[in-house]
Amino acid sequence: MSKFETLNTEEHRQLRIKTGYSAALGDAVMFAMTFPVEFRDIQSCYPILFTKDPNTGGFFAAALLGFETEQNLFLKDDGWDAAYVPALIQRQPFLIATGGEGDDKPPMVSLDLDHPRVSHDEGEALFDSEGEPSEFLNQKIALLDKLHRGLQHGNGFIDTLLKHELLEQITLDIAFNDGSKQTLQGFYCIAEERLYQLKGDVLESLNQAGYLQPIFMAVASLSRTRDLIERRNRLRV
Amino acid sequence: MGGGSAGWLAAGVIAAEHRIDAGSEQTFELVLIESPDVPTIGVGEGTWPSMRSTLQRIGLSETDFLRECDASFKQGTWFRDWRTGNGDTYSHPFTVPIEFAETNLAPHWLALTDAPAYADAVTPQTALFADCLAPKQITTPEYAFVVNYGYHLDAGKFAELLRRHCTEKLGVKHVKANVAQVNAARNGDIHSVTTDSAGEIVGDLFIDCTGTKSLLLGEHFGVPFESQQAYLFNDTALAAQVPYTDEDQPIQSCTHSTAQTAGWIWDIGLPTRRGTGHVYSSAHISDDEATAQLLAYITEIAGDKAAADVEPRKIRFAPGHRREFWHRNCVALGMSSGFIEPLEASALVMIELAAGMIADQLPANREVMDIVARRYNRKFLRHWNQIIEFLKLHYVLSERDDSAYWVENRAARSIPDKLSEQLSLWRHRSPWHQDAEAVDDLFPTPSYQYILYGMGFRTAPRRTAGYRQDQRQRQASELFRKNAARAAQLQQAMPGNRELLSKVREFGLQAL
Repeated sequence: MSKFETLNTEEHRQLRIKTGYSAALGDAVMFAMTFPVEFRDIQSCYPILFTKDPNTGGFFAAALLGFETEQNLFLKDDGWDAAYVPALIQRQPFLIATGGEGDDKPPMVSLDLDHPRVSHDEGEALFDSEGEPSEFLNQKIALLDKLHRGLQHGNGFIDTLLKHELLEQITLDIAFNDGSKQTLQGFYCIAEERLYQLKGDVLESLNQAGYLQPIFMAVASLSRTRDLIERRNRLRV
Repeated sequence: MGGGSAGWLAAGVIAAEHRIDAGSEQTFELVLIESPDVPTIGVGEGTWPSMRSTLQRIGLSETDFLRECDASFKQGTWFRDWRTGNGDTYSHPFTVPIEFAETNLAPHWLALTDAPAYADAVTPQTALFADCLAPKQITTPEYAFVVNYGYHLDAGKFAELLRRHCTEKLGVKHVKANVAQVNAARNGDIHSVTTDSAGEIVGDLFIDCTGTKSLLLGEHFGVPFESQQAYLFNDTALAAQVPYTDEDQPIQSCTHSTAQTAGWIWDIGLPTRRGTGHVYSSAHISDDEATAQLLAYITEIAGDKAAADVEPRKIRFAPGHRREFWHRNCVALGMSSGFIEPLEASALVMIELAAGMIADQLPANREVMDIVARRYNRKFLRHWNQIIEFLKLHYVLSERDDSAYWVENRAARSIPDKLSEQLSLWRHRSPWHQDAEAVDDLFPTPSYQYILYGMGFRTAPRRTAGYRQDQRQRQASELFRKNAARAAQLQQAMPGNRELLSKVREFGLQAL
């Protein structure tokens, strides 16, 4: 369970955050949510697919990390084996809390007190002895800020893709070297054939919104699937 | 001619198939003439799964449909008191038995002692009924399903949504006027209709959706009506809307059908209310007694106050159909072509089939129209006959003897010959693929199995064992086991109908 609280010096002064990446720290996830301005970094390491929020049915973009629930093929004994770690993973256990619709309260940094990274005696301190935010916390705040702006920019991305019918279902049937097979369902990718038929005015509007480059990044990212399969093959050998 | 579900569904299917909107190369005009004075009857709050493809064909989004028609998901029918009247129950789900194409599980099920009910043994769908669970999830795309479903809907709102879609998107012209006169052409066709406020409207093909009045096919052409009351006695319905006891009360996954002494009561869960009604034979029970039975039912499901508040609306109908349905340049669909009774909700699906065939076979000219008409008449006579036989099956299998109604329903003279023959055969061999007459049979073989074995009918074991009998019985056991596992899994995974419908209201379903 999660227990989110708005970050404040009084209550959270003694808290420390465990760093590094491992299953014990909650990083054994099959995919991590991502957003268009991050696609350039994501596509250098991971396939970008789209999937649905089980609660709302709404689409979101995700960096694929494994082929089954709780399988993250980038987790090694000594940490995260990739040049770039998705921002939604890096930000743990923090979260930007915003008011509901129509609420213009400024976004607040909050954290999940039940997250395995939250500790009293281990990891990086959140505040220094004077009660000022530590360098570590400032870095996290900067990350959250970037993330928040990226998510906001990405708000219209999915609607735009749907409007131009640029998403299509993808079913990955994968046979691994050990003879096992896996069918990956519930994922969607960019509909390339329709993408290449878009007319000039649509391409221009996509470009102006900052969506055109991410669309092509998502297309290119599918080549990373091969690397993911290789990682899975090495796992069982 | 005529609005309502029949008129607007037909207009929608034909217009969507042929593309006659302003931006197209219009080759004909589709005009729907609707009387501003005649209220629509709004029959058929239950649909079949076929409605999903019909709506898709018309180009409606399922999210809009669910939101605007006060619609919910229907996964079949749940029957109570039909067999003995002592609280017996069985289900007729929309999902066919597991691996039905390859394996007939009925004989294997019959061989079991201590088996679960037939439907429960062969489909996971019925496991969703008790807890009012939905046939899909919020992540399931529009019109796709986890288990097969149709809808329960508010027929008035449905006609209104179709009207808007037809006139705004599909280029159907809506004329609100009363038809004062039907004008014959020299060859005997209908040349035109004269309206009171929109002048004369000339047409090549006239589609009669004027309800039981059957103004064109029945009144103008005099195509005779053929009563089927000798087989199916019900001729009166008392309809009543019942409020939910609280706004979170679960919405049923299927139509509930509870047999009475001279008919049965339907109970349909919409998001905002329940639609109930008693359909009965006026020759076997007085209207007062029938009302009392309906009120007793409403008291049982919603309490005294709900029963005191309802004002049942009485509808008399003659069970039967026209001798033919397409005559010269006029085709009737909906109640103007016939109506039997709401059991198994065949009214809307017959409209869908009729509209589909008219759209697909739309005669290219007058010469070929008679050929299309003959084919249409053959096909729809077969459909009507099957409806009569299949509905009658529900009655002849009953063991009830608490009223003349049930006893007379089993009298040989009240049973269609074909049904008698089928029952004789099925005592020795359970129905399977060879029992289907045509690929487009309205009621497929699984439906017969669900009713037969739900009602306690027994098919004797075959006398020859066949090769590999043991292996086949083992395979069947494996299928029963698989089905039970799938049922348990679905019970965990599927949301409640009400929960899913409020999510659809809030977030919508995705198109893909």
